[in-house]
Amino acid sequence: MTAASPARADGAPFVAASLALAGRQFTRWRRHPAVPIQGILFPTFLLVTYHLLVSKSMMELTGANSLYGLVPVCAVAGGMFGALGAALTIPQERDCGLLARFWTLPVHRASALTGRLIAEATRTFLGSVLITLVGVAFGLRFQSWTAVVPFLLVPVLVVVVFATIVISVALHSGGATMFTWLGMGSVALVFGNAGVAPLELFPAWMRTLVHYQPMSPTIDVMKQLSLGGPYLGSLIAMVAWAVAVAAIFGPLAVHRYRGVTGA
Amino acid sequence: MTGLTALVERVILGTIRDRDLLLAILVPVGTYVGFNFALQHLIDTGGMSYAQYVLPAVIVQAILLGALTTADRANRDQSTGFGVRLQTLPIPAAAPLIARMTYCLLRGLIVVVAAAAAGFVFGFRMNAGIGYALAFVVLALALTLGLSLGADAMGTRIKQSDASSQLLLIPQLLLVLLSSGMAPVESFPGWVQGFVRYQPVSQVTETLRAFTEGHVALGNLSISLLWCIGLIAAFGYLAVRVQRHAR
Repeated sequence: MTAASPARADGAPFVAASLALAGRQFTRWRRHPAVPIQGILFPTFLLVTYHLLVSKSMMELTGANSLYGLVPVCAVAGGMFGALGAALTIPQERDCGLLARFWTLPVHRASALTGRLIAEATRTFLGSVLITLVGVAFGLRFQSWTAVVPFLLVPVLVVVVFATIVISVALHSGGATMFTWLGMGSVALVFGNAGVAPLELFPAWMRTLVHYQPMSPTIDVMKQLSLGGPYLGSLIAMVAWAVAVAAIFGPLAVHRYRGVTGA
Repeated sequence: MTGLTALVERVILGTIRDRDLLLAILVPVGTYVGFNFALQHLIDTGGMSYAQYVLPAVIVQAILLGALTTADRANRDQSTGFGVRLQTLPIPAAAPLIARMTYCLLRGLIVVVAAAAAGFVFGFRMNAGIGYALAFVVLALALTLGLSLGADAMGTRIKQSDASSQLLLIPQLLLVLLSSGMAPVESFPGWVQGFVRYQPVSQVTETLRAFTEGHVALGNLSISLLWCIGLIAAFGYLAVRVQRHAR
């Protein structure tokens, strides 16, 4: 890192470089819209179809409106799918030397990572807004409209933290197989929680697992924010998970970025 | 070794490497387990257990998803120029297409076996004997062939991108989740019931389910057969034509 210090001193300011690299991601997504389709359009359709599938049965069985669980699940799932899709270009960019070229530019060393994370956050925010709007059109209501802002920021937090895992795996040279498992694992986590079906409907042996996995408090915070219920416990659990994951994978992502550039 | 077996071997080895063959097992097992956990106590399927009810929909979903990778594979053969090279070899012009379709049928069979094996654990049974079980497999494979021919023609003809594969997931989602394969028509809101009742995935999953129980309604059976035969005929014609005109 000592060799990098002069570049940092003379280089473009950190924020400007990060924004430029985030903008690059958005340009790419505009030209090759696989990521926005996967991360925004698909979960929106998933919300609509799944809601139509279960709403009547859920209402008859539990008297609850399934939207309050489904909108958070689809918003978070969309962000995560998008993060997985966005990282598919990383191995290619590493192999063709693009990442190493970025490293030679006089920009802040962390801006490659922060740029990506800013793009992830922005895309997730836009997706969450759209999915929430569709939810509102189907009958989702907020007890207090001030809860809308934190409601939309929860998926952003989760996806930024999740993206550090995804990026770490994608930068690793043998990451292809792990990437498949990571994708499947995250699908299982995001759909295997109390937002999709009430906890009592899961088999008894799974309930503990479902209750304590990281997505459950996340979905519960969003659900309670819209319903106006208590969410402090879930919020603490969610933040604890986020801090733990970020503490491990944030530095790992930084380390791997440095590794691929040969610096 | 004839040209055809060599080409089939090539497709199979390729799909072991790109994990398509692994996904043929993991996708039906994963979605079946997922649907069961999420929906088994939620959806009222009358006298039938949800594990028994939903299995045909899981198979159809895996077949639809498989069609996407089929299109990608045909597209890769075309865009790398491999298809053109094969045309210079002393093999029948249809051999590459037949090889890809042979793989698709094998994949379809693996999907059915994987789903049935997972189903067995959850209590799914073929209650109507070996004849109906065979009819079940044949109908699933007929649907696989029809969709694979269409996917192959599309992949060979149209320049594909990741975005178009992603986009094709959306009609799939609509057809599978809004079908009577997932839940009885009455459990959907009134305004979508018409679509749910008459769309092809509902018809085919109903026939497949009827084969597991041995009570086949003639009207439903003929609609499913018409869909499958129609798909095979129309897409088969297209796929062969596209092969001939592929540069």
